[in-house]
Amino acid sequence: MGAAGSKLEKALGDQFPEGERYFGLENFGNTCYCNSVLQALYFCVPFREQLLDYYANNKNIGDAEENLLTCLADLFTQISSQKKKTGVIAPKRFVQRLKKQNELFRSYMHQDAHEFLNFLLNELVDILEKEAQAAKSDPETSSPTEKTANGPKNGQLNGVRKEPLVTWVHKNFQGILTNETKCLRCETVTARDETFFDLSLDIEQNSSITSCLKNFSSTETLNAEDKFFCDKCCSLQEAQKRMKIKKPPHILVIHLKRFKYIEQLGRYKKLSYRVVFPLELKLSNTVEDADIEYSLFAVVVHVGSGPNHGHYVSLVKSHNHWLFFDDENVEMIDESAVQTFFGSAQEYSSNTDHGYILFYESLGASNKS
Amino acid sequence: MINPSNGMISTSSAAANAQSPGLKTYFKTPEGRYKLHYEKTHPSGLLHYAHGKTVTQVTMANLKDKPAPSTPPAPPSSFSASSGVRSAAARLLGAGNGSRALGFVGGNGGSKSLSGSSRIGSLGASSSSSSMINTNFDGKGTYIIFNVGDAIFISDLNSQDKDPIKSIHFSNSNPVCHAFDQDAKDGHDLLIGLNSGDVYSVSLRQQLQDVGKKLIGAHHYNKDGSVNNGRCASIAWVPGGDGAFVVAHADGNLYVYEKSKDGAGDSSFPVIKDQTQFSVAHARYSKSNPIARWHICQGPINSIAFSTDGTHLATVGRDGYLRVFDYSKEQLICGGKSYYGALLCCAWSMDGKYILTGGEDDLVQVWSMEDRKVVAWGEGHNSWVSGVAFDSYWSSPNSDGTGETVMYRFGSVGQDTRLLLWDLEMDEIVVPLRRGPPGGSPTFSTGSQSAHWDNVPVGTLQPAPSMRDVPKLSPLVAHRIHTEPLSGVIFTQESVLTVCREGHIKIWMRPGFAESQSGNNSETLLSTSSKEKPLLSGKVGSSSYRQ
Repeated sequence: MGAAGSKLEKALGDQFPEGERYFGLENFGNTCYCNSVLQALYFCVPFREQLLDYYANNKNIGDAEENLLTCLADLFTQISSQKKKTGVIAPKRFVQRLKKQNELFRSYMHQDAHEFLNFLLNELVDILEKEAQAAKSDPETSSPTEKTANGPKNGQLNGVRKEPLVTWVHKNFQGILTNETKCLRCETVTARDETFFDLSLDIEQNSSITSCLKNFSSTETLNAEDKFFCDKCCSLQEAQKRMKIKKPPHILVIHLKRFKYIEQLGRYKKLSYRVVFPLELKLSNTVEDADIEYSLFAVVVHVGSGPNHGHYVSLVKSHNHWLFFDDENVEMIDESAVQTFFGSAQEYSSNTDHGYILFYESLGASNKS
Repeated sequence: MINPSNGMISTSSAAANAQSPGLKTYFKTPEGRYKLHYEKTHPSGLLHYAHGKTVTQVTMANLKDKPAPSTPPAPPSSFSASSGVRSAAARLLGAGNGSRALGFVGGNGGSKSLSGSSRIGSLGASSSSSSMINTNFDGKGTYIIFNVGDAIFISDLNSQDKDPIKSIHFSNSNPVCHAFDQDAKDGHDLLIGLNSGDVYSVSLRQQLQDVGKKLIGAHHYNKDGSVNNGRCASIAWVPGGDGAFVVAHADGNLYVYEKSKDGAGDSSFPVIKDQTQFSVAHARYSKSNPIARWHICQGPINSIAFSTDGTHLATVGRDGYLRVFDYSKEQLICGGKSYYGALLCCAWSMDGKYILTGGEDDLVQVWSMEDRKVVAWGEGHNSWVSGVAFDSYWSSPNSDGTGETVMYRFGSVGQDTRLLLWDLEMDEIVVPLRRGPPGGSPTFSTGSQSAHWDNVPVGTLQPAPSMRDVPKLSPLVAHRIHTEPLSGVIFTQESVLTVCREGHIKIWMRPGFAESQSGNNSETLLSTSSKEKPLLSGKVGSSSYRQ
């Protein structure tokens, strides 16, 4: 740790701001899925800042019941308040809590980083919503620690709790998809909105993220067995369906569906396809042609040839420099090294390091919060 | 070292990989079928791209006949020292050359294009090459120069041999870019840029005459990266520049060299004051080489291209900007940002009116010099666009001189392993074209025309346009032609050449040429060449002469 740490520190030089910390995370036996995602989230600056703010504003959190949010806030605070610029930290409490909370992550088996990210964000939102309800139910005491079981009832009494609560996690990650279905008989368009924290994209060999996003929003015809029940026609009709992004999120998380169930094999297979991702991206599949530009700031990489084993590492951009996080190890890398994680143009390739989850931040109007 | 006998590279090549069940040996276009004619590749056993990390680029080189005095590094007498077969060949071909030379120097006029015009000459060369394998360095013929890993390979365009006739290995760093000067005044006509920043100029002819695996007779510039240690991104001869050439580096700087000067001269340039601004610094001493440094942008320059007449230089880079400079005035004229992401490649139209760019937004962008803005986006690639080129040999069906519309044909290749062909009809995308009287001799009068355009001040860069503001083009055809991501496309008079980043090259014969060239032995080649003469002047010739 010492030698590696000082080497990184030398590499960092004075190009990085004083306050920034680059700490590796210890692996507790197959917890790289967790470490790689935590690093990406730590370097998601608006998320980190809001989490640290939250922690600072809830000082008495220590007395409160421990949950994933407090454990994550605790871990991030621990990293950011280190005296040294580099080193290694053991995210022990967080991992213990995670295992306690969800039996899925309890075993020492290889876990899916995307599943973990999804679980974590939903869990954080749940906790924040519960706290907000608790606070509302008892306006006199602003402490979020006193929980009441009848929160929803009180919320309704106030008469303002019809809209779902928008937490700072939502403000960062939540986008809205609209599912437009056009009945081919009466041509009525039915739009149904749904929220998302990340987009899961089907991938093709030798394609780009731009192309995968286009396919995601391409028009699909519902017919034969798969007809659509049109409310106007009151019957099953052929229809055209497409998904568009109604509200682009501030942090766009893209999950590449590299683990695919192959029916002939009766098991999951890893797709090592070469899918290029640009360092800057715009969404073409939005409802309004917003031309919002996103910038890539983190990539969670799956290393290995199969779905049930392997390793996760992450690439992170901090203050215009790229860093490589592999559990305890942190290295500086050149921006051009990002392209070595695109995947393999041919199946037999020996390259098994493939970009799996991409984190883009909107460069436009900064997060209103 | 492994293979001491030079050029005789084992025939079991990596080409086996290039064939894939899903790929066809032709592709269809409205004007007919383009047929896969030859494939060129390199010996297997070289490092895979993932390890080597160098992308193959291709340069076309046409060694046409030159009067003997103009090629000092390769005097005919030097042949005699080598093997008997070769000197015999040289004598034989030398005699032939002399008589033929006059013939097509006259016909060519000021040939602006790569290769092309000397069709008869190159056919002759191929016939000799097939019979003598590594001995066709008679000083003419059309060659393909391409880099793979630590080597430069040279293949004969017009032979059916898959394997190169020559390989040159570099021990210090990987060669990554190269350029050939068709009209070089003395022997040094080939430039090679390395990953380390080092640059060499050599005589292609001299390399072909040598049996070794090392570069010979080279001038070495920027030795060990003494001037700039950034990777060479792109290299180009200045058209009509009397031996001047430019090298663009990965750190956003471009250097101007003169091949006549010693590469070791002292060249120190002042510190760049503002990294974000374009600036030019000249060397302080007259002996210095490089003679100037252009600081173009922050971050890598990915590709550069001169307009055919050499007045303008276009650069594209990591920052997503196309920049167009007046080369002699050293001024930024115009430019603009991609929709998003880096731009990877650029190319000029023959008349200097349009620039194509391709990049990480999967778009092929058409930039108008007259309008100083993007006039069309070509949508159709499923991944990054890595190579673009105008087809300067293509003549539109209605180009009989009377029609108001001007049609351009261009091609693009991408990391989606596909080749797309496009037609750009200027009427369709509503761009006001101010032109002289129809049929008048085309001039490169972009400068005077742009004086009419006063909306955009000189030297300003346009921001990324909005998606809905740019007219869209759809490809004429789109074909998956390789198994690996592509890195380049070149149009010649007879064919379209495509190359993938791993160094496999495919040569697709244009409709009409493919049939007459199907026989591969030299006898048929020679006999068909006479048959094709009328076809040349009647169909393709008309357009190329008019330009």
